[in-house]
Amino acid sequence: MANATPHWRRRGSAGRLVFLGLFLLFVLIPLYWMFITSIKPSDDYLAVPPVWFPSEPTIVHYTAALFAYRGLQGLINSLVISLAATVLSALFGTMMAYSLARFGTGGKHLSFWVLSQRFLPPIAVVLPIFLIYRGIGLHDTHLGMIIAYTVFTLPVTVWMMFAYFRGLPRSMEDAALVDGCTRWQAFWRVAVPLAAPGIVAAAVFAFIACWTEFFFALILTSRTAFTLPTVFRAFLGFQGAQYGEASALAIVSLVPSILLGVLAQRHLVRGLTLGAVRG
Amino acid sequence: MAPHTGTLSPPRPAGALARLSDWSERHFKWLLVAPAVLLILALSVYPLLFSVWVSFVNYDFQIPGHAFVGLKNFSMVVFDPVARWSLVLTVLLSAANVAIEFGLGLALALAMVRTFPGRGLVMSILIVPLFISPVIVGQAWALLLQRPFGPMDYVLGKIVGHDVTISWLTQTPWLYISLILADVWQWTPFMFVILLAGLTSIPPNLYEAAELDGVDSWLAFRAITLPQLGPMILLAITFRLLDAIKLFDTIFIMTAGGPGTKTYTSSFYLYTVGFTQFHLSQATAGSWIFLIFTAAVVSLLVRRLLNTEPA
Repeated sequence: MANATPHWRRRGSAGRLVFLGLFLLFVLIPLYWMFITSIKPSDDYLAVPPVWFPSEPTIVHYTAALFAYRGLQGLINSLVISLAATVLSALFGTMMAYSLARFGTGGKHLSFWVLSQRFLPPIAVVLPIFLIYRGIGLHDTHLGMIIAYTVFTLPVTVWMMFAYFRGLPRSMEDAALVDGCTRWQAFWRVAVPLAAPGIVAAAVFAFIACWTEFFFALILTSRTAFTLPTVFRAFLGFQGAQYGEASALAIVSLVPSILLGVLAQRHLVRGLTLGAVRG
Repeated sequence: MAPHTGTLSPPRPAGALARLSDWSERHFKWLLVAPAVLLILALSVYPLLFSVWVSFVNYDFQIPGHAFVGLKNFSMVVFDPVARWSLVLTVLLSAANVAIEFGLGLALALAMVRTFPGRGLVMSILIVPLFISPVIVGQAWALLLQRPFGPMDYVLGKIVGHDVTISWLTQTPWLYISLILADVWQWTPFMFVILLAGLTSIPPNLYEAAELDGVDSWLAFRAITLPQLGPMILLAITFRLLDAIKLFDTIFIMTAGGPGTKTYTSSFYLYTVGFTQFHLSQATAGSWIFLIFTAAVVSLLVRRLLNTEPA
């Protein structure tokens, strides 16, 4: 951080703190309420005034959400699909980004084309994918979801890694080539290990994108490959009764996201700065 | 035994292998991009081409043959008042969401740009919504707003001193405000993070010079901060807007499009036509119309983005 703080930034500290405090409250209240709902006995839901903290916390909603509503299977499916798609996306994305960054493969057009995939409205692709998947037997399979999520996360992975490779000096790979390495060896043994922090950050984002995705999962799965976010459908349309279960499942689903998010926090700002400023 | 397999003559695999590795070395840069490009072609370009065909036939699981119907699917969307309303609502909601998120995100970034005790912790909390499934965000806000047991009306009632009986999820205009609340909650951190990254990369000597010249803070903000932040602002707004027009998940959970069709966004409309009424061809035609609208926005914004980016 700079020593010379611009004078306009020094003013209004009190107002700034109040604003930050209010925004923190705004962020935390829905999370708090969801957590409290997940441990409330069912009788406390409808209480007016609201029960801010239950006198007898319970975990019944957690067991019901995981077992009666097949949340556990959704959790396992989500893990398998998200992890596999993350690995594939990081692998193919790193390969492509390296080629784009070091050799300018395909010029600006190829990189623009990859990024533009990110901007397709999901509804435009998911309908034909649904029809094609039904035709070739990939509908409601883990493999189908893994492929869909790999493609869906590739644009961002490619662009994050593209920025990362451009920030790395190429002298190490050149030295390896002089020492008699093939280009593949220079890539796998020199460039990839150097880019490891960037790859990890890109992978974290890919994982979170898959873990939280709903729309593709809603349409491309039904009874076997359904993911955790789609389980929430089961809690809709019933008057009030399932809010505890929905909240419990939500809390379970938050754990990996928030853990990874906090771990990736530094890389988040750095990655975005690199990607945006260095273009 | 096949006599021509390479395993029968020992020198050949080495030769073939050498040729293969020569070949892969020569085409190295293309082999690196091949898996990603092939996957995107298979799951994005091919489906789009396939959907062109679907939008001109009557695609039905029950009826074999898929009769060609020309522009009928398109006209069914164009002349559907619900479709038109959904497009208007999509534009209005995404404009409102992006504008509010930008304002709040910029204010947060300005408030967070200086170090202070506990900044790391505040930062971690602020970005939590980015890592939560929009479905869960919708669920969390529905819990807060649901009448009669959600605490929102109760707390508001305490604040204003008399009972508040707003049906947040069914009553106009409150249901739109509820949807905006949830979206703002989820995506303001995104704006914040990008703008903060932009603010920290402004060279501090610009401000020193301005201070020497006795420039007041508002002028410094307009003359230095905003222009320097320009590319990042464009980036943040572009990315957010392109996501905002796909709004679906929170609608699905919070209002299910209702009451009636009041909260149908384009994505929700197309989903309903395609997957609850199973008019797949009509939905595909509609998604092409929507795609053309989106493409207009995308090409405008993204081209500008690529042009203004410092090399």
